[in-house]
Amino acid sequence: MASTTPATVLPPRLACRDAPVIHFDNVSKVYANQNRPALDHVSVDVDKGEFVFLVGPSGSGKSTFLRLILKEEKPNSGSIHVAGKDLSRLSNFKVPHLRRRIGCVFQDFRLLPNKNVYENVAFALEVIGKPRRFIRKVVPEVVELVGLEGKAHRMPDELSGGEQQRVAMARAFVNRPMILLADEPTGNIDPATSIGIMKVLDRINRTGTTVVMATHDAAIVDSMRKRVVELEDGKIVRDQSRGVYGQAY
Amino acid sequence: MRANFIFSEVWIGLRRNLTMTIAVVVTVAIGMALLGVGLMINAQVSNMKDFWSDKVEVSVFLCGKDDPFPACKNSGGVNEQEKQTLLAQIKSLPQVENVTFENQAAAYENFKAQYGADSVLVSAVKVEDMPESFRVKLKDPEAYGSVIEQLRGAPGVSNVVNQQDILERFFGLLERLRWAALVIALILVFAAILLIGNTVRLSAYNRRRETGIMRLVGASNLYIQLPFVMEGVIAGLIGGVVAATLLIISKVFLFESVQAYLPGNSQLGWDDVASVITLTMIVGVVICVLASFVTLRRYLRV
Repeated sequence: MASTTPATVLPPRLACRDAPVIHFDNVSKVYANQNRPALDHVSVDVDKGEFVFLVGPSGSGKSTFLRLILKEEKPNSGSIHVAGKDLSRLSNFKVPHLRRRIGCVFQDFRLLPNKNVYENVAFALEVIGKPRRFIRKVVPEVVELVGLEGKAHRMPDELSGGEQQRVAMARAFVNRPMILLADEPTGNIDPATSIGIMKVLDRINRTGTTVVMATHDAAIVDSMRKRVVELEDGKIVRDQSRGVYGQAY
Repeated sequence: MRANFIFSEVWIGLRRNLTMTIAVVVTVAIGMALLGVGLMINAQVSNMKDFWSDKVEVSVFLCGKDDPFPACKNSGGVNEQEKQTLLAQIKSLPQVENVTFENQAAAYENFKAQYGADSVLVSAVKVEDMPESFRVKLKDPEAYGSVIEQLRGAPGVSNVVNQQDILERFFGLLERLRWAALVIALILVFAAILLIGNTVRLSAYNRRRETGIMRLVGASNLYIQLPFVMEGVIAGLIGGVVAATLLIISKVFLFESVQAYLPGNSQLGWDDVASVITLTMIVGVVICVLASFVTLRRYLRV
């Protein structure tokens, strides 16, 4: 369905009744000392529980899109709502609280090399001040969810790329975020292992977490048959509800 | 939990930057010690001024026979009439509280007491060589200028000496010492600020992975910054403790031994030292906190 339509006139489908989890309204972003906009009047809604692929060539604005959701960057114009909050009105003081509701996974995993699997996942809860008892209960559950049971005490350099990405996903998901942002999560992983990663993302999505994944991987997009938003030169050129990677239209 | 986490991070940070931490501790310690010495000299001077202010007098020396002072030329010594006129003149001055006459015998006694009866100087001087003088006590010891002005050159007066002048010379030396200590302290504080800035910058670079992840998972700014600030605070505190030790040592071995050469009891008390130490500690820690905070703003994007 066309997600660019304002929320108020959306057809009465059950999942669309709530306000969208991510709402971009005419958002433009131009980085300093660059004249071409990274995002050019982008309007898009992502509803609760959706799984969205963000595709497009390098430099098309995918990463900017994700960074804007995290309020790591500010748009030059337009408004962004995430989890019901207007980001332009969100004070810097409250940004950490926004980020607690958003999990992040990256191409380069970003694990702490001197901490084992359990400690890497627990770190995300420790630094937001969760009690130790809660951490001891939740972390093993999430480690199991991503399929790393029995490897909780391995160090990152003892794990394969796919396993390291699973740790990163466990860390992103351990605080039960409303949204999971994945920036090329399979970019450093061979295709066979990528399928396992996608299964974990799908599992996370089924718990009701909205997943937005930026990717270049055509095979994955084609196999999942999820919503596809394609960016090119900062503009949305395609928004398909059960799309494939490179479909002509 | 929280405190535990932060302290383990602080400990790791301090150990990783051990050499920088030592540099910070040494700089803060010496800087704060010099600041403290400056403040202690200050306290000492004001103690001594309190002690002396009600004792200093203006001495009006009278011409003796054949005195070499130009004012006494051909006078053959002061005569009784001149003494009476002078006494009346001094008493009529509004700044004067009281005035006493010191004759040659009394002057000789004082001289002997000051230099010791066995001194070569004392044995070379006879009672007749001592000058007679009026000892003038002023209501306000600072207001000696006009009194000296009016009495100098009066008939029979050889010289007018303000004891304050002699004290001033000594205080002047102390004050120069104090300024030297404070200026060096200031330079060291500046060096400490730069060093702390560098330490924090290194620390932030070493821990950029951790802080990046902390930012991403939504740790609050305080939580991200506190370990760095605490590193500065702990280095500052250790420096402060070293500075306090140096100050206590200087009080015992410097201030108290100098005291032995000074007349009167103007000892620097332990309460003065304690307040100086407290002040320098606070200054040291505040400087560390500010320096690390300012650097963090620049090198740790939140």
